[in-house]
Amino acid sequence: MMLASLLIPLLPLPLGGDTKPGPTPNLLAIRVGKAETIAKGTIEHAVILVENGKIVTIGEDLPIERGIPVLDRPSWVVMPGLVNAYSRIGLDSEGGDDSAAEVKASAELYAQAKDFQEIVKYGVTTLGLYPAGNGVPGQACAVRPLGKTKEEMLLADACYLKIIARASPSAKKLIQDGFKKADEYAEKEKKAREKFDKDKKGKKEDKKEEKKEEPKPAPGAAQEPAAAEDPKPEEKKDDGFVPPEPEPKAKPWVDLRAGRLRGLVSINSAAEFLHYVDAIGKETFSWDVRLVVQRESDVFYVLDKKTYDLDFDGIGDKKCRVVMEPVLSVTPGTMRNRNLAMELAKAGAKIVFIPRNDTLMDAKAWLANVGEIVGANLDRSIALRAVTLEPAELLGVEKRVGSLEKGKDANLIFFSGDPLEPTSKLEAVMLDGRFVHGEVKL
Amino acid sequence: MISKRNNIESLVASFALVFVTIPATAFAWQDAGGDEKKDESAEKKKEEPDKWFVVKNAEIHTGTGAVLRDAMLVAKNGKIDDIGHDLEIPPDAKVLDAQGMRVYPGLVAISSSGLLGPTTSDFGDTVNPFNSNMILGLATGITTTGSGNAAVKLKRFSIKDLVVREKIFAVFSWSARNPSGKRSLREKFVSAAAYLREFRDWEDKVKKDKELKEPQKKNVDTTVLAVLKGETTAKFNANDRDDLLGIAHLAQEFGFRPVIEGCVEGWTVADELGRAGAMAIVTARDRRPKDEALVRDGGSSIENAAILHRSGVAVAVVSGTESVDLGGIVGRDIMALPIEADFAIRGGLPEDAALASITTTSARILGVQHRVGSLEVGKDCDLIVVDKDLLHYEAFVQWTVVDGKIVYDKQKELYFAHIRPRPDAPAEPKKLDKGETEPKPDADKPKEGPEEGGKKGDGEKKNGDGEKKGGDEEKKGG
Amino acid sequence: MIRRGKGMHAIGEHARTSRARLVASLFVLALAACSATRHARPEVGDRPDLSPLRPGERGFALLCGKVITADDEGRMFPRGLILVRNGRIAYVGERRDVPAGYAVVDCGEQWAMPGMVDLHSHVHSGGFGDVNDMVIPVNPELRVAPAVVPGNPLIKLACASGITTLFGIPGSGTSHSGFGIVYKTKVHATFDDCVVRNPGGMKVAQAYNPERRAGDFGATRAGLAYILEDINDKAVGANRAGRRDIALENLQKVHRRELPVLIHSAGSDSWAAAARMWHNTYHTDCVLSHGCFDAHLTAPWIAEQGVKVNAGPRTMDYLVTRDGAITGTAAKYIAAGVKSVSVNTDAPVMPQEELFLQGTLSARLGADTYLMLRAVTIEPAKQFNLAHRLGSLEVGKDADIVLRVGDLLDPRGRVERVWIDGEIEYDRARDGQWF
Repeated sequence: MMLASLLIPLLPLPLGGDTKPGPTPNLLAIRVGKAETIAKGTIEHAVILVENGKIVTIGEDLPIERGIPVLDRPSWVVMPGLVNAYSRIGLDSEGGDDSAAEVKASAELYAQAKDFQEIVKYGVTTLGLYPAGNGVPGQACAVRPLGKTKEEMLLADACYLKIIARASPSAKKLIQDGFKKADEYAEKEKKAREKFDKDKKGKKEDKKEEKKEEPKPAPGAAQEPAAAEDPKPEEKKDDGFVPPEPEPKAKPWVDLRAGRLRGLVSINSAAEFLHYVDAIGKETFSWDVRLVVQRESDVFYVLDKKTYDLDFDGIGDKKCRVVMEPVLSVTPGTMRNRNLAMELAKAGAKIVFIPRNDTLMDAKAWLANVGEIVGANLDRSIALRAVTLEPAELLGVEKRVGSLEKGKDANLIFFSGDPLEPTSKLEAVMLDGRFVHGEVKL
Repeated sequence: MISKRNNIESLVASFALVFVTIPATAFAWQDAGGDEKKDESAEKKKEEPDKWFVVKNAEIHTGTGAVLRDAMLVAKNGKIDDIGHDLEIPPDAKVLDAQGMRVYPGLVAISSSGLLGPTTSDFGDTVNPFNSNMILGLATGITTTGSGNAAVKLKRFSIKDLVVREKIFAVFSWSARNPSGKRSLREKFVSAAAYLREFRDWEDKVKKDKELKEPQKKNVDTTVLAVLKGETTAKFNANDRDDLLGIAHLAQEFGFRPVIEGCVEGWTVADELGRAGAMAIVTARDRRPKDEALVRDGGSSIENAAILHRSGVAVAVVSGTESVDLGGIVGRDIMALPIEADFAIRGGLPEDAALASITTTSARILGVQHRVGSLEVGKDCDLIVVDKDLLHYEAFVQWTVVDGKIVYDKQKELYFAHIRPRPDAPAEPKKLDKGETEPKPDADKPKEGPEEGGKKGDGEKKNGDGEKKGGDEEKKGG
Repeated sequence: MIRRGKGMHAIGEHARTSRARLVASLFVLALAACSATRHARPEVGDRPDLSPLRPGERGFALLCGKVITADDEGRMFPRGLILVRNGRIAYVGERRDVPAGYAVVDCGEQWAMPGMVDLHSHVHSGGFGDVNDMVIPVNPELRVAPAVVPGNPLIKLACASGITTLFGIPGSGTSHSGFGIVYKTKVHATFDDCVVRNPGGMKVAQAYNPERRAGDFGATRAGLAYILEDINDKAVGANRAGRRDIALENLQKVHRRELPVLIHSAGSDSWAAAARMWHNTYHTDCVLSHGCFDAHLTAPWIAEQGVKVNAGPRTMDYLVTRDGAITGTAAKYIAAGVKSVSVNTDAPVMPQEELFLQGTLSARLGADTYLMLRAVTIEPAKQFNLAHRLGSLEVGKDADIVLRVGDLLDPRGRVERVWIDGEIEYDRARDGQWF
């Protein structure tokens, strides 16, 4: 490939300066003591070649071709930039209590918000921004924190629909009403389809049966996460049928069913999870959980169906993601710590960590807090994945960010030691192949 | 709800249909099944294997007066299937060996607060079946409770089929402090009764004369009418002798059975309440001083429940406070329900009536006696396994079973496991729940482990010096 | 019959010696005044007196289904006999021939037990309003005696529940709350008729209630401790100097161990601090009262110091210890080795008549049943140096007898009759059931 035999670093990069690094060369080789790739484990003596903002290659002790500028930091540890999938950093608006499923957080995005420049300094290179409000407040988007315009920032939109689950008839009704709208649309679509088929009937008859099944996936046909991740492309588009456009209020629910959108269900307690499961009934669509970790949390009751002989599937059984703060809770009524993240992971859930609070200060302490959970026996690789690739998958941007792999955005963060050690220093942050924070001299 | 009779009728109906129209068999079954819900459960039952639950080697107090020693109880899909001796244990049955223990029906609390979570209505959408008050309710032996105007089961971890009955009571006020209220209520009863007479008369006559017009429901209070028709139960909150007398007379005049909550001075007019067929909800230790200015009896009496019972009033006992109190004062909250029944016995209530006062009688007052309150074939398998006489102060509920499922095991919960641990059980429940971290070296130490172990490290030594600061916050609240 | 007369209740009268002297002088008086021969009443330590009653003497014989003496040997007598002579117990034990002159009272299968004693009670005035002025934090001259309303409705209920003696005390709103009175729960009595000891003991309060919320001195634990140490040091100083300070007269007695002190305290911090101050520093004859919340965590240390514990009105802790267990506090003190444990009601925090229930519930939560029976009878009597007269059915003690059906701790069993000083104060058959 591009790399030939050994190469010595030649040019001192014009990076220098204080916290504001200068331009980074388009082509750069980085040699560090260790790389946490997330996707493919830890690589010792790792070499990463970055070109035009993308990772070109990564491997152990790769030879570097003469002429390529090299950043040589044998004591550093590199990992992918952090992905905070659940944040309102840089956003201001307030939401209501109602269903506003059609609202998109991307609409309130303001590229010049100072917070975005700040957050990068803590190693956060991808943000999932959700709309404010209760009930069903709307859809989240994924952004890169730096960009001159909104469009430049936006990585993906309509990433997930935030749904707030509560043990109350009104909260449950919001969800059911949403799917009623989808029902109405399905009816409308069916009629359109029938009319379309009727018009076409003269030409071909035998095709009809196949088409009948097309418009809506049969209820019960599970949209397990796997299925949702690659929604089947409209199969027989060639027949020329164009389904009617759903009402804006109905669209998110139609998309949920069709696997084009996933739900993120916010719960505080076991009861709220149970009532949510009850509210969606037989509705199958992809959803993940946003667990607000209370100090006294009873969520351990609903980890899986087996332990407490539940009459419904637990969070772990669903194999869904759980977006949670890296904090320990206690068994209610006691001072006995429990590591819900570890318990959830053991039960089969996938962990997505977010900072303890949605502030810059907590973003700074984020990895140290995750380290505490690892100290309390959460598997280290799960923890690292929970701040990078797992949130990237939640946002649907895993093809671009979240791990150190060939072809991905060169979002790298460099530490003086183990990223989960509070004593380690964040030395530098690279976003899309450019150093945006840290003193970096070649 | 579905009574046995209705089921039989519907079965008969379905058979009739089968005979008449053979091709329509499938539909006939569906028709007979009634509403959609029933269909679903029927379908489900076909899919899922029967769930059997058996208690064996128990002294079974059925709550109907019968006591069976060394007996067994078999439940199928949450309903009691058989009670007796040497019954066959179905394979795959979950078997509970209650050797040396007594089995009683699950207790029926007329009212409580907090056991279902912060809710008094829309139970299917609001109940918190994970909350600690529910565990403590089950630890007390309560399996059904009145809440709001409904009777709801304590189904741990589940919100399915919670409500046994809704809209139980029509609540009326009858108070000497509000004479016009009394007058207007009486008028409502007068006009409703008059209408009902006309209506019944019409019902008779219309069979012969089909043209006859139905009497007009003018100025008739529908709630009062429902009471007179026996569709709902009239409930009063009353304690004063005069009010109780007034209610008794109203009930006798219009022929309905009132439920009277409070009923503190009931013992002074018990005969009238008995004649009215009243049912009373009392707290044995209610305290109300006698008005010394009056010659007649008055005030509270520890004998209230007993005297009412002797006069034919059905008596249910409730605790002084309806909620769980963990502040340290013991013996007055909902967890002291059996203790309150003890005080009724102290006042002279026979033991069987005292047991009934928190099981069968309370179920009857809530109108759910066809499902809960006693252990009989066909009823819900809601039972408790107790280490001794339920009404003895040292008795602890060891297991609580709701709908044929064990939902409480004393040795598996942290609350009471350390008190006289069950010999068969491990000396100590697993102190750390699954996945708990920080297993302190002394955390698994039996009995005193948590109390001392939990704090010794950080506070115990300092205690001697009086410097320890821990726990201040909570204390102030208490 | 000899009643404890007016002259007997001079301030400071506290022990058998002076009373015996008085009885003797009355005896002489009586001899002089009339022809009737008076017999000195039985004393503790006396041998059972089985002699026939002499003319003018009063006595009755109780035939019971069971006698629970609550004495230190834990003796119980199925089908027992109690002889009551001139208001005291002359014999307790197995059935035997009743000496001549005794009226026989056959109680069938009912059980006889000693009357109960509650050391932490505020019902002496008949309500809660008359227990503390809440103005001055230090009140060594304050005595509750003037507030006593003998035979008030709350006392009557107490009597009907089998309580025969109460230590009525000022409330805990002030650091040095004042001096309480030990009195009997006679239902129709004058002040003098019911007083056992006046002042009966001192009451102080540490932590929570006496905290001066207005922000003046004594808002913190340091200030609270200072207030008490300051007044204690004054009394100790007066004692050392052999000086009689009228304002500190009773407090001086406390520091000479002539009067006991009951200390309101709770929570592990102040509970241990109270023991340190009153037991270890000032060496008073003290009883730690309450011990609620997490105070039981200090139980091993308290046991080591040999401090007396009067637990209640809270009988369990859950919220403060936070280990998931509902802890019976009395059970914890006993398990830790505290030798002297009594329970209280802090009436009317708990209704006075439910003193036994405090024992019942403590037993439910893990304490030994028999120890809980002692905790409402002989233990409180011992803790307050009243055991020479009260707390158990033994020869020479006051005939304070409760007759009831079954186990004293079982709420189901009702009290049939209560004798105080050998007089029937409550008879369910005669008076109706009060509780």
